[in-house]
Amino acid sequence: MHLMSSELFTLTYGALVTQLCKDYENDEDVNKQLDKMGYNIGVRLIEDFLARSNVGRCHDFRETADVIAKVAFKMYLGITPSITNWSPAGDEFSLILENNPLVDFVELPDNHSSLIYSNLLCGVLRGALEMVQMAVDVKFVQDTLKGDGVTEIRMKFVKRIEDNLPAGEE
Amino acid sequence: MSRPMNRRQDNHKISRELFVLTYGALVAQLCKDYEKDEDVNKYLDRMGYDIGIRLIEDFLARSAMRKCRSYSETVDVIAQVAFKMYLGITPSVSCSNTTENEFFLMLDNNPLVDFVEELPPGRSSLCYCNLLCGVIRGALEMVHLAAEVTFVQDRLKGDDVTEIGITFPKRLEVKKHKRNK
Repeated sequence: MHLMSSELFTLTYGALVTQLCKDYENDEDVNKQLDKMGYNIGVRLIEDFLARSNVGRCHDFRETADVIAKVAFKMYLGITPSITNWSPAGDEFSLILENNPLVDFVELPDNHSSLIYSNLLCGVLRGALEMVQMAVDVKFVQDTLKGDGVTEIRMKFVKRIEDNLPAGEE
Repeated sequence: MSRPMNRRQDNHKISRELFVLTYGALVAQLCKDYEKDEDVNKYLDRMGYDIGIRLIEDFLARSAMRKCRSYSETVDVIAQVAFKMYLGITPSVSCSNTTENEFFLMLDNNPLVDFVEELPPGRSSLCYCNLLCGVIRGALEMVHLAAEVTFVQDRLKGDDVTEIGITFPKRLEVKKHKRNK
């Protein structure tokens, strides 16, 4: 079994964000870098996920949302976000994280008010879905670290990726 | 950016892979930042130390361990409880025969290198997992044990096994003297 308690991960993630804040002067660059790193992680993580979760091919975006929330988040972060706010077209939804383990011991300092602390997750989701032929936009729209009541990730389906060329590293 | 650790209500177990890949991203970032392996190793150790001094609180709260009565007991707890809890593995422990203050943890199956086949070119002195040494060192310091913790063998460097050495200060021998009346 590949199970562990999340605290070492939480603190290691914090060390990563701290290092990026040293390396890049402004929050936007840190956010971008977190997203890029997340993307590179996601394109690898998907293989592990598919191998270990045994989920079949999703037939639509709703099914994809369920798998992301109930299987993937559960597996890798130990939480099950709820899925809400579907767009009428069914191409956009929100994941509500009441409890985000990545921010367990974190307060944003005043001079980092634009930092999207958990932005790695957006990249992970984007990279992973790209490898199963889905181009998506993923972003945080609410963040408890910024004083919001919950943390909300918005996911929008952009298009199906037709060609099967492997994604390069960004 | 951190605040004191409060015990979370739920203790969530997670699969390791996202952590392992995030760790890899951390090492990669440090390799971009620092040209010399020694510097990367140093920063990994330092980061690990900062993590260890916080992680120990969580560990003591959740494992409910009593105070260890010997170095040997301490290392057993590290291997069988702490490693198990935070990495899902149980390294085997051996002790140097000559002194009772030097121990080795052998990591048969080191999850941090699950996705790493070999060290990057030009990085032959990189101690990829050096964060772990800092974590152990920092955690021990918070329970008033000073220890040197380093990798003594590393499969990524071509050794047969991966082994962490933990060296405690030698205890002063307590000689029993008969009181002179």
